[in-house]
Amino acid sequence: MTIAAEDLIHTAPTAARTDQMDGKMTTSTLEPIRDIERFASDAEEFLSTAVPSRWKEARGTLTSHEMDEVRRQWDFTLWEGGYSGLSIPTEYGGRGLGLAEEIVFHVLAGKAQAPDGLARVGKSLVTPMLIAVGTEQQRAQYIPSIMNGQEVWCQGFSEPQAGSDLANIQAKARRVDGGYLINGNKTWTSFAQHARRCFVLAQTQPDAGRYRNLSMFLVDMEQPGVSISDIRQISGAVHFAETRFENVFVPDSDRVGDDGDGWKVAMRVLGDERGGIETAARYVEIRSDVDALLDVLGDQPEYASRLRDLDIRTELVHWQLMKVADLESVGDDEALARAGAVLKLMWSELWQDVTRLGVGHAPVVQQKHWSYQYLESRAVTIYGGSSEIQRNILAERVLGLPK
Amino acid sequence: MTTVEQKKNPESRYAMTTLPNEYGSMGAEGIEDLVKRATSHAPIATYVEEPEPPISWAAIADAGWDLAGIVEDDTCASTRDLVAIAKAWGYGSIPQPLLPSLLAKRLSAAAREVDGPVTFALPLGDGALVPFGALDGIVVVSALGDIEGEVTEVPTGEVDGLDLVGRGVHTPVATTFTTEAAREVALVLAAEVLGGAERLLADSLTFVIEREQFGRPVGSFQAVKHNLATATVNVEAADTALIWGSQREDNAFRGALFAVDRCIDAAEIAVHVHGGLGFTWEVGLHFPLRKMLSVRRIIDRLERDHT
Repeated sequence: MTIAAEDLIHTAPTAARTDQMDGKMTTSTLEPIRDIERFASDAEEFLSTAVPSRWKEARGTLTSHEMDEVRRQWDFTLWEGGYSGLSIPTEYGGRGLGLAEEIVFHVLAGKAQAPDGLARVGKSLVTPMLIAVGTEQQRAQYIPSIMNGQEVWCQGFSEPQAGSDLANIQAKARRVDGGYLINGNKTWTSFAQHARRCFVLAQTQPDAGRYRNLSMFLVDMEQPGVSISDIRQISGAVHFAETRFENVFVPDSDRVGDDGDGWKVAMRVLGDERGGIETAARYVEIRSDVDALLDVLGDQPEYASRLRDLDIRTELVHWQLMKVADLESVGDDEALARAGAVLKLMWSELWQDVTRLGVGHAPVVQQKHWSYQYLESRAVTIYGGSSEIQRNILAERVLGLPK
Repeated sequence: MTTVEQKKNPESRYAMTTLPNEYGSMGAEGIEDLVKRATSHAPIATYVEEPEPPISWAAIADAGWDLAGIVEDDTCASTRDLVAIAKAWGYGSIPQPLLPSLLAKRLSAAAREVDGPVTFALPLGDGALVPFGALDGIVVVSALGDIEGEVTEVPTGEVDGLDLVGRGVHTPVATTFTTEAAREVALVLAAEVLGGAERLLADSLTFVIEREQFGRPVGSFQAVKHNLATATVNVEAADTALIWGSQREDNAFRGALFAVDRCIDAAEIAVHVHGGLGFTWEVGLHFPLRKMLSVRRIIDRLERDHT
């Protein structure tokens, strides 16, 4: 039996939350708690009742549409419980806490088998970008509906000819009265199928030369001229899409930063993409895969040294992240830059090693899981800055080697 | 009967701290400063085999560095603090028995009675290695941890040919370690070689920026950059493994061994990117690498003896 998607959606917000649902900027009613022990026990209690049982117990029976609805609903549940935007300042509807709490919450959520929401791009990329370089109007208009999960965002950066060479963006935004018309193709766009909005990097000054010719826009996806076609991945999943923009209008008020500052804004966003919150989510998934391998292979001596290595490396992803949070809190910028720059290399290459062991050696009854994980994991050394780009950044920006 | 009361690390499930206490940060800064002033970061090979090391034992003892690990009250060094101090010391590759003395005086009452340097005998699986056992006047302690021990002269033995910074001698019998002491010794040894790995990484960066081939610095070639980026990941992972091992005592040996392995990986890259100079004796990259190889074997043995 399948469950109608609507049944899964909880639609009645508490009174205290109605203002924020309506998009009014109000200070969060929840006080920040900097006592991490208390934060953790509160979060554990919240998760023990909030995680939907049909997700925890019967995920395998849900259709992909139903799974998406559970994930969308989960964003709302998080917000209602006060666990959305933990490190976002309270004035923007977040909790005003730090990376340490984000990490703790992700780990606890993983243990509680919570779904992952659809709001990831909005929360970890768009919101910090708007807080740093957006206008007051943009913050007021967009952040509340990101925080409560109402609006999913996707990221319109990569193009067929601009992958690792992101500065080679060909999409054009032509000036018209009151704004711009965007034309171009974006690809590998995660969450595009769910997204109400997209933040798009496009050329505004074709003659201005590399790095100075781009601008960043906040684009409404529900308008004529936007078309989305799914891209199926080697795992069989459809996590991303090709997105076309044909004469799509964006008002001036939805440009982020000055005209020509798009590259600078994008670099900021990429720093967030490769940063701590993403790693925390990855740690949880890798930990769960390694535990599964320990369960099925842990008593076989021929796997002992590989499992030991994978187990340590998994814990070190968590501790590396804690180190980053601590260095950030004491303001040791030099050590922080180096510790942060290795995060993605550490977890992405680890996860591939984990799934490779799983797909080759776990019992056949688990084949579906491991073949999926293995094939999915091939993407992680490519997206969000390939391992080669990560090593270039580390060598040039952290170690100071010549270009 | 000697008792050791090590400062307990936080037991909390969530409030993991990765940073040393103030004691450890100040200690590491002090050592860093001492090493820098004494060597001006001159190439390791210019001083490591000299009969007079660039820092004298008197300079170490006068500043009380050999007593820095002694447990007196709540403000004393935690294992995490010792890891920070040992890493700073390891950067210099100074042939003085600071770390063996510091550990011996922390972990043995008999050693605390001694004014000068003290060492111990580390298990090799096949006999033992006494770091700085060749030094005049150094004594060796028979037990570390909360068990009774005594100090004696170092027995004569063959000079160790692997760890040349350590100036050790081989003896038949190892010191007796409690598990707690063995864990701490393993972490400190690993932290010392991590300092060596940091040094090799820094020296490699300097080298590839200066060295030109094909009319440009070799450090501008992507293959070389990526090697050094990988070495950096190794050094970061080693550092974090020692933090983990010092905050989760059950993982001390695993963390220390993992760290030393990553240091060896980084050192191999350092030798490689130095090209033809990397395997010359006089450039001296082998001194920290030799110590890593020596320590790898010792920690492996300590783990086997204590699990």
